[in-house]
Amino acid sequence: MMGYSMELALRGLRRYPKTTALAVLTVAIGLAASMTTLALLHMLSADPLRGRSQHLHLAWVDTVLAKSQTYRSLDSDWATYDYKRLKTPDAEALLAAHKGTLQAAMADLDAQVGGDKGEPSNEQLLATSSDFIPMFGVALQDGRNWTAAEDAARTPVAVIDSELAQKLFGTPKAIGRVVQIKHHAFRVIGVSQPYAPQPHFYGLNAWTFSGNERESIFVPFGAAIDVGLASSSTDGCDDVTEKSKQYIAVDPMHCEWLAFWVQLDTPQEVTAYRSFLDHYAQQQPLGSFGKKPQSQLLSVQRWLTLQNAIPDNVRLNVLLAGSFLLLCMVNVAGLLAAKFMRRGAEVGIRRALGASRRAVMLHHLFEAGMVCLLGGVLAWPLTLLGLALLRMQDQGFTDLARLDVAMFAALFALALAVGVLVGLLPSWRVSMVQPGLQVKSA
Amino acid sequence: MRIILAPMRRHSLMPALVLLQVALACAILCNVFFLAWQRLEPMLAPSGVDADNLILVDNLAAQGRTYTAAESVAGEDALRAVPGVRAASSGFGLPMVSIASLMVNLQGATHAAVGVNAFFGKNLVQTLGLEMVAGRDFLPSEYRPWGLGASNGPDSDWDTGVTQPVIITQALADKLFGATPAVGQWLHDPDPNDKSDHGYQVVGVVKHLLRNELGLATDGRADYTVLLARNIGNTAMLSYAVRVDPAMRDIALQGVKNAIKRQFGGATAGGARARVQTYVQKRNDAFKNARAALWLLLGMVLAIVIVTLVGIMGLTGFWVQRRTRQIGIRRALGARRAHILRDFLVENLLIVGTGIIIGMVLAYAGNILLMHYYELPHLPWTYLPVGAAVMLAIGQAGVLAPAMRAAAVPPVVATRSV
Repeated sequence: MMGYSMELALRGLRRYPKTTALAVLTVAIGLAASMTTLALLHMLSADPLRGRSQHLHLAWVDTVLAKSQTYRSLDSDWATYDYKRLKTPDAEALLAAHKGTLQAAMADLDAQVGGDKGEPSNEQLLATSSDFIPMFGVALQDGRNWTAAEDAARTPVAVIDSELAQKLFGTPKAIGRVVQIKHHAFRVIGVSQPYAPQPHFYGLNAWTFSGNERESIFVPFGAAIDVGLASSSTDGCDDVTEKSKQYIAVDPMHCEWLAFWVQLDTPQEVTAYRSFLDHYAQQQPLGSFGKKPQSQLLSVQRWLTLQNAIPDNVRLNVLLAGSFLLLCMVNVAGLLAAKFMRRGAEVGIRRALGASRRAVMLHHLFEAGMVCLLGGVLAWPLTLLGLALLRMQDQGFTDLARLDVAMFAALFALALAVGVLVGLLPSWRVSMVQPGLQVKSA
Repeated sequence: MRIILAPMRRHSLMPALVLLQVALACAILCNVFFLAWQRLEPMLAPSGVDADNLILVDNLAAQGRTYTAAESVAGEDALRAVPGVRAASSGFGLPMVSIASLMVNLQGATHAAVGVNAFFGKNLVQTLGLEMVAGRDFLPSEYRPWGLGASNGPDSDWDTGVTQPVIITQALADKLFGATPAVGQWLHDPDPNDKSDHGYQVVGVVKHLLRNELGLATDGRADYTVLLARNIGNTAMLSYAVRVDPAMRDIALQGVKNAIKRQFGGATAGGARARVQTYVQKRNDAFKNARAALWLLLGMVLAIVIVTLVGIMGLTGFWVQRRTRQIGIRRALGARRAHILRDFLVENLLIVGTGIIIGMVLAYAGNILLMHYYELPHLPWTYLPVGAAVMLAIGQAGVLAPAMRAAAVPPVVATRSV
């Protein structure tokens, strides 16, 4: 019976080809709009470091010797710019305490990096500590990472990625070469593969999503301070800080500029670290500034949610496209209902000859399903076109819009589900045709 | 009327589907129109400045030090010496320069409190080409120095210890003071804990001045801008506004570029290059994303209209065809073509009208859902009649062809068996 229903459905598709084409096109447009927006959302909400990020936590303690900044603009959301960073002495204290499996302090800085000859180029530099590379899964393809001893000695060493090595030295084999940062020599001890997790969760102040930005050079943060590199943004400074050192080039000793991430593998370790942070917070002399001790330990997911990492309009577009798909479904249901009811006489004869309601319904469900599957096939190139249009928009994150295998599978599952949903009502209606009545009027 | 309602009762699937389509389309359209307007409003807002003859210089950041007030003034002088330049001001928070904005909260006599963008720099009214509608410009003696992130000595703090004169826009004057003339009125910061607030006194009102946080230039807030009587002191960042002679625009632009290069050379921090662009260019860049979003929404409106139109035409066409015989009988019994046409149009009107009412409820529900995800105000009720009108037009356009076909059915059809 299935085969017969299928055959009837195929025949049915070919009758009234204009209506069929309209229905297929409507389904395709609705599906393509939904898939384009969903693909972007899917890319943006993916786990930045699969297998690692569930163990990573951002640790923060309030140690700023100043009144809390409560000034909020009445119509701007600017006051939410707070990246939960630490001053250098606190980051060093937390590193020295060594309470997590691995821990690292980090900050993104702009730096002019030069090789042996030629013009220095603008690079994103990550000032960090020795655990960053193993903890965040940066893949070294040559050489070694620096050690905790080199961190402590503020040794000017650098790990650069293979593309920067190629750019500066014309070869990825750059171990032992020297890069110039602010006219100071840093010895290259390791070459890594390009590293660009999306979103850039450990440095959201620099960028969130980007297809073209990444840190191409990693150096110990002590060495970076020594050569005069400084962050251009801070979450807060002690009162003693000169005003000129609060913007553009902030004072690392008195201003918060380093994000501190710690790897904690079990819930017990998380609890223990949290109480360690609380204890650290209680020792801060903040009472005279009217502040209570404050500390936070945030998981990657919690941090991304708090910082609203996924742009609002991405979700908004998914909602709009979803409601548009709903409209398309109702529309196709209408087109199919009209198409099916037109053959009321034929169905009446089939029913009179003994076809069951179930058989009639199955035939029409198949037909509806096929319309939507065809729509799904047509939606494929349309989705790719939609994504290409998105990538052209250049909003910082749109260049990441790609369709992966999982999304292709989802597209066809969605097409099939839409087909069954859309087909139910008209198929039921046509299966209700009374045999006698239709034969009489025909 | 019975003749219209009766078939609807008997075959309820077709009208129900049309109704559902109309309701959904109406709900989506109202919200899409609203979203589009949120993007469009800042684009349509008058800038208030002499847009065609304005050049802006920004992205000047000193390398490891701050620029002194004297360097800032020397830059102004160098720019004024360029042939074709009429006026030049070193300023902060200039139009379309969004690297850094200064936000100030103000409260006036009506107790309405607003957050505004503050612009400052010497002689900005003249350099930007603003139109004063009341009061006066700042006097040279009223300016106090202030720069970004610089310690300039005792007189350059934000806190001057005295009331500061301000120039506000007409829109702000209306919002803060209502019908009372704004000039001479007082403003203060609504935060009672702010010790640095010694109040502001309005000395002048300009017609328009578009704020530089364009994302906030919606819901009538486009002109929420004030001018402060500040000149640039020692600062970590410089920007200039330059007004040029319309006849010498291109020469002046090149001259300004050269003057900036001569004056500030390669001494900018982090390899940042000074940007010299016309206002029109900067405006174009600033609205790039909003324009892309608008095209997207426009495409969406088109898709909705086409899909709904096709849907209504398909369904009504079929429904009319089903009743060919009935139409023939009515015609044979003396109904005129106009009657048949009218009946189908009225029928469509009834179905679409009901759909619109349901659609309006859905539109509000959708708006509440959107507000949950997105910083968006309530859907103003004025969008509902717009959406309704569009849907009615689509409905009538969709039914017209099938209805004409129906009206053309000859009475003789009734005598045939089909």
